[in-house]
Amino acid sequence: MDYLELTHIHKSFTGTSAVHDFNLSAKQGEFISFLGPSGCGKTTTLRMIAGFELPTSGNVTLDGKDLTLVPPNKRNVGMVFQSYALFPNMTVEDNIGYGLRMAGKQKADVNQRVKEMLALIHMDDYAGRYPSQMSGGQQQRVALARAIAIRPRVLLLDEPLSALDAKIRVELRQEIRRIQQQLGITTIYVTHDQEEALSISDRIVVMNEGKVEQIGTSSEIYNFPKTEFVANFVGQLNLLPVEIINLADGLVKIGGQLVKTNQTLERMNGHAIRLAVRPEELNPGHQSDKNNLSGKVSTVTYLGAIVRVRVDVEGRPVSIDIFNERKLQIPKVGEMFEVNFDADACWLI
Amino acid sequence: MKEKKYNLWAIFWATLALLYFFVPLYGTFDFSLRMEKGRLSFLAYQSVLSDPNFLASFRYSAIMGIITVIISVLIFLPTIYWMYLRLPQARPIVEIITILPFIIPVIVYVFGLIRTFSGPPFQLTVTPFKTDILITAGYVMVSMPYMYRAIDIGMRSIDVRTLTEAAQSLGSNWIQILANVIVPNLRIAILSGALICFATVIGELILGDFLVRPALGPYMVEAGRDQAYQPAAMAMLAWGLTWICLGLLQYFSRGRASAQQLTGR
Repeated sequence: MDYLELTHIHKSFTGTSAVHDFNLSAKQGEFISFLGPSGCGKTTTLRMIAGFELPTSGNVTLDGKDLTLVPPNKRNVGMVFQSYALFPNMTVEDNIGYGLRMAGKQKADVNQRVKEMLALIHMDDYAGRYPSQMSGGQQQRVALARAIAIRPRVLLLDEPLSALDAKIRVELRQEIRRIQQQLGITTIYVTHDQEEALSISDRIVVMNEGKVEQIGTSSEIYNFPKTEFVANFVGQLNLLPVEIINLADGLVKIGGQLVKTNQTLERMNGHAIRLAVRPEELNPGHQSDKNNLSGKVSTVTYLGAIVRVRVDVEGRPVSIDIFNERKLQIPKVGEMFEVNFDADACWLI
Repeated sequence: MKEKKYNLWAIFWATLALLYFFVPLYGTFDFSLRMEKGRLSFLAYQSVLSDPNFLASFRYSAIMGIITVIISVLIFLPTIYWMYLRLPQARPIVEIITILPFIIPVIVYVFGLIRTFSGPPFQLTVTPFKTDILITAGYVMVSMPYMYRAIDIGMRSIDVRTLTEAAQSLGSNWIQILANVIVPNLRIAILSGALICFATVIGELILGDFLVRPALGPYMVEAGRDQAYQPAAMAMLAWGLTWICLGLLQYFSRGRASAQQLTGR
């Protein structure tokens, strides 16, 4: 049996379904991210694990015990909030030690643990400060220390980095991962930022409209999306309507241009199908042993490390990401441009 | 170095405002010192403070004020907290209910109390103690708009729901959340509400008069009927008391006012 199990979880608010048949099994020490757009039910699911919401049906089981009806203060589940939620009337050390005091720990034990936590988040000198005297990043570190000070059975993080600026977000997410791995805490992390989810998670749960679209590792989610939503939501994707030419050979046609896929098309016969290919899988130029598409350059966007070129292929926009280098000849708008890609690089939806 | 420029209009309006407030105050103070013919003295104050009726009525109103504050906090704090947490949609209704004491005159209210509670089954006007229970309930009602608003403003300034959930996730029960997280962060709001509530009770006239209790309001009206200088001295004492209360409020709310939110790392 897995450590944390969510079985057939369903939650509706006044008749509207927020989470529908959610199932997840997490191993001890695993880092799982819930990824999806706003309103997809990821925070609601997290809140059901924390005990702040009661599932309409289904069960939450932790270490073999049913937690569904256990109140939040009896679950020993740590939570980090988007808005930090530090107690404004308490200093950093009082905030971190709060959960331990509530558990009736001895003062010496509380002080010792607070010291350890401050060292863990590299904020030893901030013990006497109040939340209002710290930056957002520092407050979130303290919130993290406060949540893990009680040695929770599960750590829940609800978009903890959303309120911070880009550079601190990257630093802090690495720190969260470091601390999680160091302590081996089973962690559920809610985010709408795909980069965040892909970079720190053992597994990702992609959600949409209250349903699980796919559960998998970062690589599985990105390279082998199971649904059109996942393919579109995680990373950039070109989707082109195609016409089937040969079912057995996986040969399709975009306008007048042939494309070979390594996918059998029998089961798709009769359906409107589209060719999916990521911009970074496309290479500039013609290669006779690969698929080739040509069209006119419609826009060129300079993004620093990459240059995104949009080509009009048979009236359909196709984006291609080219690694930027000093000698790169950036294509001009209006000129003809040819791209090539492997049959393995594309799939049909 | 740039020379500091003074806005003449600002000075003019500030002076006018100060005169508006302080000239009548000075007039009252000056009058209160003229009880003895031909010389300034604190005789009126001596007279007031040595009057056993004044001390008795002040003591009575002060005790009633403290009891009213305690009951108001015990009623409104958990109610408003629960409303913020679980019933935010009930807020417009509660708002309307809390302004009813402004709409219904106290005289109407007190007659209602007397009619309802002077006969069975809830006969509360037969003994002084029972009437004190009735008058306290009346004071709580009369000061409700002030206490409600003070706590409401305090609740708005903190993220009640998230702080509650954070405390819950750390193992706190409801009493611990209220005592350790909510009340300390509403300290100023509760003190403000308590001060206004106390001042309302101290100056309240109609409830004390119609329920025939020895409150300060009816005493001051009585004293004003046949004395000239003592009411002015009492007004100055009341003013001084208000400033002492404000000073205490300032003292308890000191500390982290200068703390600034930092930005960046």
